[in-house]
Amino acid sequence: MQYSKFEHLLVERRGAVGWLINNRPDQLNAMNALMRDEFAVAWNELNLDADVRVIVHSGTGRAFQTGVDVTEIASDGQGMERYRDSVAEFDLHFTSWHQGVWKPVITAVNGICCGGGFHWVADADIVIAASDAQFFDPHVSVGQVVAVEAIGLMKKMPVEAVMRMAFMGRYERMGAPRAYELGMISEIVDPPDRLWDRAQEIAETIAKNSPAAMAATKKALWGALELGLTDACRLGAQHLVSMWGHPDQTEGPQAFAEKRDANWNLEMGATT
Amino acid sequence: MSVSYETLEVTRDGPVGWLIFNRPSAANAMDATMLDELESAWRELDSDPSVRVIVNTGNGRAFQTGLDMIQLAKDPEALREQSRRTKRSELKITAWHNDVATPVIAAINGVCAGGGLHFVADADIVIAQAGATFVDPHVSVGQVTAFETIALAKKSPMEPITRLALMGTHERMSAQRAYQLGILSEVVADVDALRLRAQMLGEVIAQHEPQRLHTIKRQLWSALERP
Repeated sequence: MQYSKFEHLLVERRGAVGWLINNRPDQLNAMNALMRDEFAVAWNELNLDADVRVIVHSGTGRAFQTGVDVTEIASDGQGMERYRDSVAEFDLHFTSWHQGVWKPVITAVNGICCGGGFHWVADADIVIAASDAQFFDPHVSVGQVVAVEAIGLMKKMPVEAVMRMAFMGRYERMGAPRAYELGMISEIVDPPDRLWDRAQEIAETIAKNSPAAMAATKKALWGALELGLTDACRLGAQHLVSMWGHPDQTEGPQAFAEKRDANWNLEMGATT
Repeated sequence: MSVSYETLEVTRDGPVGWLIFNRPSAANAMDATMLDELESAWRELDSDPSVRVIVNTGNGRAFQTGLDMIQLAKDPEALREQSRRTKRSELKITAWHNDVATPVIAAINGVCAGGGLHFVADADIVIAQAGATFVDPHVSVGQVTAFETIALAKKSPMEPITRLALMGTHERMSAQRAYQLGILSEVVADVDALRLRAQMLGEVIAQHEPQRLHTIKRQLWSALERP
């Protein structure tokens, strides 16, 4: 599939793995208005590309993501006003969760991840980080409120650590080892320049699993964030049952018994 | 009053009731018989006033490896009732499913795979021997994982659970990492130490007034029912 031309993102496919790379290294990958719009398109294209089974999201340069481009906000006369409606209506389109992507998404944090950068930590299925990655949330230090991304994180990890980052602002940073201990990330890659190779490796491993089963599993699991336990299980049962009768359900056990790789059915279920 | 079971061992040691998976030659996988017997065993132990705490563990090298794939392949008809229950989210295999009021300690003696994670997610306290591992093969064999990983995602940091679910057979979580994440609270050297420690924890908890423990358990689990 031919992807659109992007100014601030690199979007490409390596085997079964779609890559979405933040590419404004001189601005530490801060998200300006154009980049924000490009994210929506990039997620949709990777989601629709049938050859992409797993998506990796990372950044070029010494930062993964540093949130809204404060320079643009301060200098172009429009400021945050341009985002008022979309934020007030919670009508956001820059993460895989916003865009309804049910393929597995791996965030590979290179270097600094701060402020709005946490959106892609909170909204990914798997998060790994380079050993020199650093996490902090400067919102309150520049007179801003943090909400959506910190709320997402709080539901997925110990709350105290998230509150501390929210209140310490730019005056304290969390390193990759602490993020690992807390279960915010599941792997530290060292040396840092191996990050992309390792992300590709994990993605290729996951790509061996049934795409349809993973999509249904992802829907069931994300339901845990929306609902209480019993209700989440009831909704999970619907996603589980939605796979009954799918060819992968018989192909999987057969391939396992015959000790061969499974031939998954790629027509059904991966994107919807 | 003890019923006899084919696939479980149900015993008592002082105030502690033991519910032990006992199909070691099948890695304690749940066949139709075990699925039925689990419901009876939880009820038997929970309704016995001399049982103040229940320990759940496995015989042999595995703790529990989920639905018996061999029976599913050869005799799916035997599992039809369970399929119906899965569809309606009415499983009766864990303490939580069976509204067990008594505190439950899961003692993970070896590999815990797929549906085995139900018993980790639905226990009040979890301990493990150092060599125990956790793996969720569902998506590698074209199946969906739901209830057990949903409950784990609500009780532990979530990212490691989505990773476990999406990696399938290709990655295992160690007992040490599960301890670090707070999925379990204690790691002991070997299976003998595991059983001794579980019995000891059971006896400590059993010193408390049973009704109070039941109330606390009910109230704390109800916190998981809010979004």
